[in-house]
Amino acid sequence: MNRNTRTALSCVFWAFVVYLFVPLILMIVMGFKDSKFIGFPIRSWTLDWYLGVFDDAEVLQTFVYSILIAVVSTLISVLIGTWLAVLLNAQKFLGRAIIYGLMILPALVPGIISAIAFRIYARLLGIEPGMGAIIWAHAIHNVPFVTLVVMARLSTLPQSMMDAARDLGADPLMTFMRITLPYLTPALIGGSIFCLLLSFDDFVRSFFLGGYDPTLPVLIFAMLRSGMSPEINAISTVALILTAALGIWAERSSRRLKRENK
Amino acid sequence: MTNKRGPTTAKAISKNTGKPPFWGRVATSPTYQGLCALIFTSPRRQFLILAGLPLLYLLTQHLGPMLQMLRVSLMDAYPVAPGHEGYVTLENFGRFFNEPVFWKPFFRTLIFAAAITVVTLIITYPVAYYLARHVKRDHQMVLLLLVLIPFWTGEIVRTYAIMILLGNNGAINLALKFLGFIDRPIPFMYTGFSVSVGLIYLTALYMLLPLYSALEKLSKNVTEAAADLGAGPWTRFWRVTLPMSLEGIGSGSVLVFLISTGYYGTPVLLGGPNSTVFAETIAGFFHNAGDEWPTGAAFAMIMFVAALAVAGGLNRLFNALRKGDT
Repeated sequence: MNRNTRTALSCVFWAFVVYLFVPLILMIVMGFKDSKFIGFPIRSWTLDWYLGVFDDAEVLQTFVYSILIAVVSTLISVLIGTWLAVLLNAQKFLGRAIIYGLMILPALVPGIISAIAFRIYARLLGIEPGMGAIIWAHAIHNVPFVTLVVMARLSTLPQSMMDAARDLGADPLMTFMRITLPYLTPALIGGSIFCLLLSFDDFVRSFFLGGYDPTLPVLIFAMLRSGMSPEINAISTVALILTAALGIWAERSSRRLKRENK
Repeated sequence: MTNKRGPTTAKAISKNTGKPPFWGRVATSPTYQGLCALIFTSPRRQFLILAGLPLLYLLTQHLGPMLQMLRVSLMDAYPVAPGHEGYVTLENFGRFFNEPVFWKPFFRTLIFAAAITVVTLIITYPVAYYLARHVKRDHQMVLLLLVLIPFWTGEIVRTYAIMILLGNNGAINLALKFLGFIDRPIPFMYTGFSVSVGLIYLTALYMLLPLYSALEKLSKNVTEAAADLGAGPWTRFWRVTLPMSLEGIGSGSVLVFLISTGYYGTPVLLGGPNSTVFAETIAGFFHNAGDEWPTGAAFAMIMFVAALAVAGGLNRLFNALRKGDT
């Protein structure tokens, strides 16, 4: 490939990176503006908006609420998702394609339709809108992602390890706990982090299944409807830093684990 | 429970000391033996517990919500008032075709989604190509991570970032004014344009990743062989690289199309009265106490079936193209 094409392609790539980052950087910078009015240019600067986030009990409570929902729904998703992955990985059995289709369904349904379907079904099951309903919907929606990640890892598990365990007298349950689960650790961590991010970032399901307490995206949405303000920038930035830090940490630790397990 | 066990097990194995065997104690504990007896006494029971529970879960929690939505969409009223004799009706679906205020947002959504799919493909193809074919393998992961970071942030936060970018006092208008191209700010916000920019910003990743993995699998030998046979750069791209990345283009397009039809928060925040999407129409039926749920459910079904039909069509199209080319 000639040099010009290469340079052109690298320009396109970096332009794409700029396009991804500039809006977020502008948002972070705007949080330092010493005015209630959002917009450029910024003439004087302040830290008050950012400090305010940590002073505002309601905002802090929303952070805790969102994190709690993310953690509990992730635990449920990982448990069910792993179970499904083991089942789907077991053998070729009759109806496997159908089960696979059912498993992946919640990930394929577009956001608004998924939210509406959960809202209607919650009523049938008698789940009141609120924390329980959000956890329930997030857990189900995130199951397919866990299953896919775990299935990918399971398919690389050497059969010889299972055979060795069986030869040494381990029953299937023991083999699962002592061979399969440790082998799956990187996938379980990766899947959990992905679920945490999906749940923490989710807007549409939290919006339709929430009660009076908002999750973080719902709070930001509600604030935005009554007007932009640097306060929202500060809150969004803190959320952005949380998710980015979690993601980067997960990426690093999962790569380290994979290297160790090899 | 299982996920908590993971790290402990790993530690127990890595230490590998002869100390009081934790797993030995587990294996002899009555709880464990009871559990084994419960599961493994007969193959039939083993199957019922290990496969039956997940199957029950899939049917009630994955399929259930969709079926219940379908059921509600066929009801005349929901919830059924006491003493009221409910009946099955197609009226809720009929409402869709009668009023332009309903079907216009529907077709707008499909057009938006199609346009967004094409634009993200055009934007991300060179990016994925550069990453997969021109960057050293060690650097690929770092650059990929760099591109991934913005996508870990939520829909609403990123939508807000776009609002700051496109607003009347936003960065773009400021830059254009500074450069002397305009006197008055261009009203980007609350139009179809701002909605599209926002949705492309949100969905680009779902196109980028499948493209990257398809292009990354493509061996250099193939293009080199084409070059040896006398194909110029353009011929190599059109006749070799592009056909061989059709798989990635196909799955990326299906994903972006499906996902972009489902956004609700972004079009509400970035859109205006002339860019209402169908998600907003559907949501409108659920803000009220519940008397309009059947219509909302019917509209959601229409959206779901249409989105699946288009996505399935795209999938078949790309499969056919692939078979025709190779």
